[in-house]
Amino acid sequence: MRTKTLRILSAALIVGLAYVGNASAQCDSIAKICAENVTADYISDGQSYRALLIGDQVAEFRATFYGGSTYRIAGCSGFTDGNLIFEIYDEDHNQLFASSEYKNTSFWDFEFGSTVDCTIEAKLNSVNVKSGCATMVVGFKQ
Amino acid sequence: MTKSRNLNKWIGYSGGFAVAAVLMVGCVSDVKKAEDNGGAETSEVDSSGAQLMTIGGSMFSIPSPIQTAMLIEKSGADYNKGFLNDAKKVSTYATNYQKALNLGVYGADVGYVTIYDQSQDALKYLGVINKLTDELGITGAFDESTIKRFETNFGKRDSMLNLVAVAYRNSDAFLKDNDRMNVGALVLAGGWIETLYFTTQIAVKDGNKDVINRIGEQKYTLNNIVKMLTPYYNQPEYDVLVNDLIELAYDFDAIDIQYTYEKPEVDIANKTTKINSKTEVVITPKHLKVIADKVANIRNKIVGQ
Repeated sequence: MRTKTLRILSAALIVGLAYVGNASAQCDSIAKICAENVTADYISDGQSYRALLIGDQVAEFRATFYGGSTYRIAGCSGFTDGNLIFEIYDEDHNQLFASSEYKNTSFWDFEFGSTVDCTIEAKLNSVNVKSGCATMVVGFKQ
Repeated sequence: MTKSRNLNKWIGYSGGFAVAAVLMVGCVSDVKKAEDNGGAETSEVDSSGAQLMTIGGSMFSIPSPIQTAMLIEKSGADYNKGFLNDAKKVSTYATNYQKALNLGVYGADVGYVTIYDQSQDALKYLGVINKLTDELGITGAFDESTIKRFETNFGKRDSMLNLVAVAYRNSDAFLKDNDRMNVGALVLAGGWIETLYFTTQIAVKDGNKDVINRIGEQKYTLNNIVKMLTPYYNQPEYDVLVNDLIELAYDFDAIDIQYTYEKPEVDIANKTTKINSKTEVVITPKHLKVIADKVANIRNKIVGQ
């Protein structure tokens, strides 16, 4: 009985690890494709933003964008455009941008005249996908 | 002050229970349900996919050290090698905690020297970074080929900077993929502190308004760094750094930042939005000196001076 239980647990662990490994690999692949949106005239911010989303979950991250810089923000999920919807809010929760207003564009540029503390919210486009790895890539130029 | 008292002070200071929640669950996720009302309730990740969901667990973007180094160069400040951490010290960093923080420090340094066209110094620092990433078991980010590509791009400053930045992004991805967000957080914190160190030193000496404003703007980032590191507070060595940063946050709290929203302008053809909102920073010279001294103290603890 104990052996059988151990086998089941081992099998579950292997499947779980394989799932995790597969999701990580998928995130990496999506992130690489997404990074292509941030062209050579932008310098990477040096970070990788990613989260596995299911259904209507929202990934949120806080960012400070410096005045005098132009940022390119790319958001992707899956291997085709339009699977991720992202919105940007200022510290008072005024909406500064919503990709849904621009056909769920996978990237957009932002010119900041002054430094602004922002929140970026990203969710899946439920019409296209039910779950997946959401990745965001940020680059800047001055 | 004991560490728990200091953290309690921070929890009170930050005005929320989020930090306490972080300590209880060990690792926070910023994934929430879309129907949440104003973010009042942050749902913890489904345990069936916890490993996956926390890949981006610390969802804080820390501005690139390169951006502030660019501002410093633009302000007219001279190159000062004395600000940088000695490359020879790399062999003295024994723990992963020290290595990770100083990987961030050296990353900021390589950005600074590259911006000032000090290519030979940059190569020296890249060698040190390569060594630290090896020792931390970070694969696929920095290697000999990164250094070679850097060399072949000598003279093309932005290309050199982007090579380094992309290598750091790959390191960050590797650490997140391998559930080592604590190491990633230290790298980011180290880079941020090193940049703030030379920014404050220059500001106190030169009094450049843009540079001083940039220091004030770090109030936002400092809060994010503390939140990012707090989940690891109970791990050896982290408590000292978190306590130091919380103390620093109290000094930053005295900086007045006035934010005014203005409607953005959209240029659909060029896929560009111009953000017109304004932020004004007020920081007194006396306060700047207090912050500069405290930052120098934290930074010197990290690099071992």
